[in-house]
Amino acid sequence: MVALLMHAAEQGLVYGIAALGVFISYRILRFPDLTVDGSFVTGAAIASSLVVLQGLDPVVALAVAFAVGSLAGVLTGLLNTRLGITDLLAGVLSMIMLYSINLRIMGRPNISLLRAETITRSITALFAPLGSAAVLVFLAGIVLFIKLVLDFFFKTEVGLALRATGDNEAMITAQGVNTKTMKVAGLALSNGLVALSGGLVAHYSGFADVGMGIGTIVTGLAAVILGGSLIRSRRVGWMTASVLLGSLIYRIAVMFALRYGYVIGFQASDLKLVTSLLVIVALVVPALRDRFVRRPKPC
Amino acid sequence: MRRLVQGVVLGLLVLGLGAALVGGAPIKIGICKIVEHPALDAVERGTIAALAAAGYREGKEVEYLWASAQGDPNNATPIAQNFRSQGVSVVVAISTPMALAAAEVFKGTDTAIVFSAVTDPVAAALVASATDPSGNGNVTGVSDLIDVASDLKLLRELSPSIKRVGIVYNPGEANSDRLTRNAEAAAPGLGLVIIKAVADSTANVAMAAQSLVGRVDAIYVTTDNTVVSAIDAVVAAANEAKIPFLMADPTSLKFGPAIATGFDYYRHGEITGGVVAQILGGKKPNQIPVTYQTGAQVQLNLDAAGKIGLTFPQTVIDQASAIYYGGTLWERE
Repeated sequence: MVALLMHAAEQGLVYGIAALGVFISYRILRFPDLTVDGSFVTGAAIASSLVVLQGLDPVVALAVAFAVGSLAGVLTGLLNTRLGITDLLAGVLSMIMLYSINLRIMGRPNISLLRAETITRSITALFAPLGSAAVLVFLAGIVLFIKLVLDFFFKTEVGLALRATGDNEAMITAQGVNTKTMKVAGLALSNGLVALSGGLVAHYSGFADVGMGIGTIVTGLAAVILGGSLIRSRRVGWMTASVLLGSLIYRIAVMFALRYGYVIGFQASDLKLVTSLLVIVALVVPALRDRFVRRPKPC
Repeated sequence: MRRLVQGVVLGLLVLGLGAALVGGAPIKIGICKIVEHPALDAVERGTIAALAAAGYREGKEVEYLWASAQGDPNNATPIAQNFRSQGVSVVVAISTPMALAAAEVFKGTDTAIVFSAVTDPVAAALVASATDPSGNGNVTGVSDLIDVASDLKLLRELSPSIKRVGIVYNPGEANSDRLTRNAEAAAPGLGLVIIKAVADSTANVAMAAQSLVGRVDAIYVTTDNTVVSAIDAVVAAANEAKIPFLMADPTSLKFGPAIATGFDYYRHGEITGGVVAQILGGKKPNQIPVTYQTGAQVQLNLDAAGKIGLTFPQTVIDQASAIYYGGTLWERE
């Protein structure tokens, strides 16, 4: 059980990076960006093909994955801001283009990392004294770092302009900020993070598959909204924390559905149903508690 | 909430202990597949049937843990981790992504991974070599690589006027991608030209198939899950163009291709079950080379042939193990 919870936490963290990317487009920029279903795979494709085919260091490969993912975001941003294509359609177009591009990058639909030097293997070797906790500690470190950098960034002048672009475009335009550039930059950051997450997932799972991006936007949104309803705060630090919490809960729900679904009478084909039911429980329980449990009022 | 969780955990512990005390605790086998699909479901059934026949009955000698990734490769790794935490002795991983996830999660352990319905286990790095099992570690299994060249040869036999063969396929499927490449490699030797039409989802199959009308003399579809799911669209295009359609999936014969070849996936499962039985009998995975299923069948659909005015030559009829005529499948005695 402990091992399973650790694995669920690992996945919550690694997919949490993608959820942070979705948070930036959906919550900060108010831009429903479907590019992520493609850029997640782009990250996985780059991070695995560079390691397997080019023999590159996994860290370098992941950095390139982030960079190429950002380019995907730039593409969507330019389609939207320069060509005037609506946000949803711009994202859909990028996502569809990326499917073919991802197949080009990989050269085939599935790349195996079983015999490759992945980041998870390097970390397990590097932090051998930590044993099976090495990967979890490493991922927690990376994700915490990304979270803190984002928190800091959103308090800088550029970061504040980015937030204002989503909140009140007219106001920030009046302040002399080019909101088009802001949108492109925000989408680049968002898709860079999603691609990094995809790359890490490939290294963590031992393979990249061209079908692994389908649903990135759905699980990303689930994490953003779930976390946002559990931690209601307008402060950036709490908001990014809530996204990670949402991602953790989602992955724990998947793991519980797998482990205990059949114990309570569900079958293998009910996985997605049970996962969603568990997410609903996680959403509703705190709300019910607020409604029914009278708490002593703070003096 | 905490009480409830404690209660559930305690209950499970008691159940587990109880089962262990009753004695002869069954061997746990995890069976996982990428998606609910007629062929993959048949593999599951064939596997447990073969194991039961070998003396490993469900609920008695063995206990099965079932899982499906429901079409999402991201579920493959948690499924394998769950199997590991529950201490399964053997994992039956149906399809390439499931096999890769299981091999990664169980890397360096004694748990055997038996893959099934994997087209190219060597390219997937699941095993080091197709024939030499040493160096495989804890992985072995059964491949459903079909002989594309013999299918193309069959089309050639059908009529000497067949020169251009159209293939509808999804380049996102590892199996289909590999088989289409094989077809392209084999075609020149048989005097054929391959024209590809890409369908990346079931919704696009109709358009891809239509794009071949007038450009090809025959249509060929390999074991492509996307295209098989929308086979009616390919049949419609072939009938419109009045050209033969060869489908590498015998279970699809009644849906209207003129010829169906390939493997019975229930049999594929039985072979997989046989490999699992060998492992339960004490063999190590690195003593068992990968099994490549052989004995592809040829089945003819006379109803479909009638619609396009096709008469099968005697050489093709001689190879057929079954024909579909008047809405019924007639098998050769």
